[in-house]
Amino acid sequence: MPLAALEISGLNKRFGGVPATRDASLCVRAGERRLIIGPNGAGKTTLFNLVTGDLSPDSGSVRLFGQEILNLPTRQRVHLGLARTYQILTLFATETFAQNVVLALLGLRATRWNPWSSLAANRALHRTACEMLLQVGLADSADRIVAQASYGDRRRLELAMALAQNPRVLLLDEPLAGLSQEERQIVRRLLDGIPRDVTIVMIEHDMDTALAFAERISVLHRGEVIVEGTRAEVVAHSRTKEVYLGE
Amino acid sequence: MRGIFSLLVVSLMLIALPAMVGNEFYVNLASQVLIYALLAMSLNILVGLGGMVSLGHAAYLGVAAYTDAWLVTNAGVDTLSAAFLAVAVTTAMAALFGLLALRAAGLGFVMITLALAQILWGLGYRWADLTGGDNGIRLASRPAPFGIDLASPTHFYYFSLVVCSLAFVCLWRLAHSPFGASLRGARDQPRRMRMLGHHVWMVRWIAFIMAGFWGSIAGLLFVYYNQFIHPHSLSLQQSAEALLMVILGGANAFLGPIVGALIITLVKNVASSYVDRWNSLLGLIFVVVVLFMPQGIVPGLKFHWTQFTRRGRKVFLAAPAPPSP
Repeated sequence: MPLAALEISGLNKRFGGVPATRDASLCVRAGERRLIIGPNGAGKTTLFNLVTGDLSPDSGSVRLFGQEILNLPTRQRVHLGLARTYQILTLFATETFAQNVVLALLGLRATRWNPWSSLAANRALHRTACEMLLQVGLADSADRIVAQASYGDRRRLELAMALAQNPRVLLLDEPLAGLSQEERQIVRRLLDGIPRDVTIVMIEHDMDTALAFAERISVLHRGEVIVEGTRAEVVAHSRTKEVYLGE
Repeated sequence: MRGIFSLLVVSLMLIALPAMVGNEFYVNLASQVLIYALLAMSLNILVGLGGMVSLGHAAYLGVAAYTDAWLVTNAGVDTLSAAFLAVAVTTAMAALFGLLALRAAGLGFVMITLALAQILWGLGYRWADLTGGDNGIRLASRPAPFGIDLASPTHFYYFSLVVCSLAFVCLWRLAHSPFGASLRGARDQPRRMRMLGHHVWMVRWIAFIMAGFWGSIAGLLFVYYNQFIHPHSLSLQQSAEALLMVILGGANAFLGPIVGALIITLVKNVASSYVDRWNSLLGLIFVVVVLFMPQGIVPGLKFHWTQFTRRGRKVFLAAPAPPSP
């Protein structure tokens, strides 16, 4: 059996008395494209937050390529190859697009501790940042300030920053939300072009794109993974219909 | 290009200043401005770059000054060793204080920095065996590096200018370095920075230590200048003054703290010889700045200047405008 890229087992998290995830378990093989769906409040983003360390769970285990990561701070999980995008955009609004990507690139480089060298003079870093922007179709935006950019551009910048980290496991939280049809096409092609050594777990509501993209689907409901399987299996499953169409 | 030109002009003016004013009072005043500019710049590593408001920055000026004066006066240590030791002790203290203060953010951080500085202030008054209490500690003479006697106001001014220029270059490089970018990133989006692999806590802690280090250099200049250190230099008023310099000048502008230090030191020293209530005058300046330039004087002037020039251009261009349909 090939090594699982991401293995979540028995993950529990309660906010006060309200369970956000209940015994959530999920196993994503290396190189797989996994889609997580579920109604609002199913605990999808919470699950991501638990994996990245933005939240810590009450119990359970999360393994990245076999290594337990729950005891590691977020930054160390990132150094092991984890990256994510946020559903609610989390960008450096007063900086340029290029500078945002540069910060993403810096995060994994030792030069981030350098208090003396000029960041602007680091052409190699800047060039890499511009290449990442080119990948998401934002080549012309390198010098624009994020606060003045459209929502669609910012969403693609989120993606560029995550890709800049050269991740092994990429968590995408609604990467298509709020994008126009043309922008969706760009992102779709981009996602298809990500090499297979990157494992992708995606939360998405745009079913056309998501179903075409994903190989396996997990349905989350009230913090529990209730159905898991291929597209056909999940669509045909009675529990899926129950959750999405009512009893 | 314009930046280099302005830098050159300002440098020449600073070098020519003692010859231009030709009056000891003003040369001494210029030295004071330099010392406070260094203090404000060091504080701005935390406030401006790091977004961490500290209300206890007098601690680093005061402890460095006390340590140096005590070592030289009471322990008979030579000037150079005392200076190094004072900086080392103060920087180590900043590392310790950083560990404590960084347990909290926002208002909690402000209160911890204030509390720590107040403890030192209390010790300054009460631990009279060590600090001389209300009598303070006197430094018999200013040092004479390379045989240049700093007792002369002009010599001291140039000495301060060299030290401050050095600090200016280091802090300028810091602000434009990868580490500076990480620090600003940690200020704006700490959660995202972690997700990008940055060690947010460590970045802040190092910044805290840097602020303490440069604050201690300001403390050395301070005790050399006054040849005296008193608990007042550890007081909340001293910390607040440094913070006000930063805020008045503009925390997000590199030159902000320097302008703030210039204005407050001038008002304190010059205006107080003409009006009794110079504190009220300072208050009035604050009200005006807050009303018209909430970001501080340097960003405020920049903003109003671009507004002014743009309006000028617009009026010029709009004159022959065709009537709109």
